[in-house]
Amino acid sequence: MHQAAPGIKLVAAVLLVTFTALLPRHLTWLYLVPTVILLVLWPVCRMPIIYGLRRLLVAELFIVGIGLLTLLHPTAAPLFLSALVKSNLCVLAMLLLTWTTPFQQVLQQLRRWYFPTVMLSTLALMCRYMPVLGEETRRMTRARASRTFSSKRVVSWQNVALIIGQLFVRSADRAERIYLAMCARGWK
Amino acid sequence: MKAALEVRNLSYRYPQNGRLALDQISFSVAEEECVGVLGPNGAGKSTLLLHLNALLPERIVSTPAIWISGEPIGSHNLQLIRQRVGLLFQDPDDQLISATVFEDVAFGPRQLGLEGPILAALVRQCLGQVGLAGFEERQPHRLSHGEKRRVCLAGVLACKPSLLVLDEPTSDLDPRGRREFKSLLQTLPGAKIIATHDLELVVDLCARVVVLDEGKIVAQGPTVPLLSDEPLMLAHGLEKPHSLLHRHPHGPGMPLR
Repeated sequence: MHQAAPGIKLVAAVLLVTFTALLPRHLTWLYLVPTVILLVLWPVCRMPIIYGLRRLLVAELFIVGIGLLTLLHPTAAPLFLSALVKSNLCVLAMLLLTWTTPFQQVLQQLRRWYFPTVMLSTLALMCRYMPVLGEETRRMTRARASRTFSSKRVVSWQNVALIIGQLFVRSADRAERIYLAMCARGWK
Repeated sequence: MKAALEVRNLSYRYPQNGRLALDQISFSVAEEECVGVLGPNGAGKSTLLLHLNALLPERIVSTPAIWISGEPIGSHNLQLIRQRVGLLFQDPDDQLISATVFEDVAFGPRQLGLEGPILAALVRQCLGQVGLAGFEERQPHRLSHGEKRRVCLAGVLACKPSLLVLDEPTSDLDPRGRREFKSLLQTLPGAKIIATHDLELVVDLCARVVVLDEGKIVAQGPTVPLLSDEPLMLAHGLEKPHSLLHRHPHGPGMPLR
């Protein structure tokens, strides 16, 4: 599956997500179609079970959050269940796509399909600067921890808030410098 | 000799706080000449370098103050100027914007309209020039600091600049990385301007230096006599380099290299 053309995988993933999203609002046998396809593809793609479950668990917080909103509706229970299943299936489809296709290949494919350059540049920059931001966060957390002498929960929450604030300021500064560096190499 | 760069009466005030960052700066750099720009933190070195690439001022003024190979910087020729002046930024992570080394080196030439096999050959050639042949598919965030800097340099060289402008090229490099990067810079043709605190680098590479302090040029001239002037160096937050400080015991007058 890793060797398959990125274009085919991308189209298949988008079709599967679209099909799942368009399923009825209550659980029917049709839900079995994407479920079976994804459960068959999972071992074929050789994605480790723990890896997949961990990432699904991270997304679960948001999925349950969205699902809870449906409880405001009079026919709450079936809606909640279908939203839950649909969201999980869509996330799983995307997980399989990202497991088998490097992000760079996805971007190249989208470029071949004439997706807007600004959108692709934004995605590419996001992919490039995630590790840089992660490293910056780790450095700030360590530096803050080295000067934190209280185990109070309030202090630790204050530290998290400070780090997030600093990260925003630093990211804005970095964005400015990146823009200048791009202009210096002819970006129009 | 024709000047690769000429700066005449350049002044700049930061719009945010009104502080005068550059005050009547004038100097020139000949073709194939390497000039060091020295000064304490906040002297205006980086601001000056941004002007050389037309990244500052925010709005290009109608009266030019900078000429690149005889061409005055104006709003009509920004792309030409940015192609002629290759600017290497201080933090490689600001400059490495793409997901792979190949894509990053290809970024500048793509803006100039190069694509396909010609672009691929140029990227390979530039990576070879900086000693990173075979790094095309590597991800920038997995490279060492020295390698990142070399990729940045390859990306700048790929635009075929006539003037290289380097902002603190050896900061954050270990001694070996610094030595290797210095050797690499020595092999590069064309005029170079190096803004740095690494005075040994200046002694080894630059025939002439310009000393900035509080936005003004306080001294300029040949490197060794100027950097040997200890009172001048101390007055402007600098130090006499070790290679000029210690004389070789068996060769009086010979600086250690």
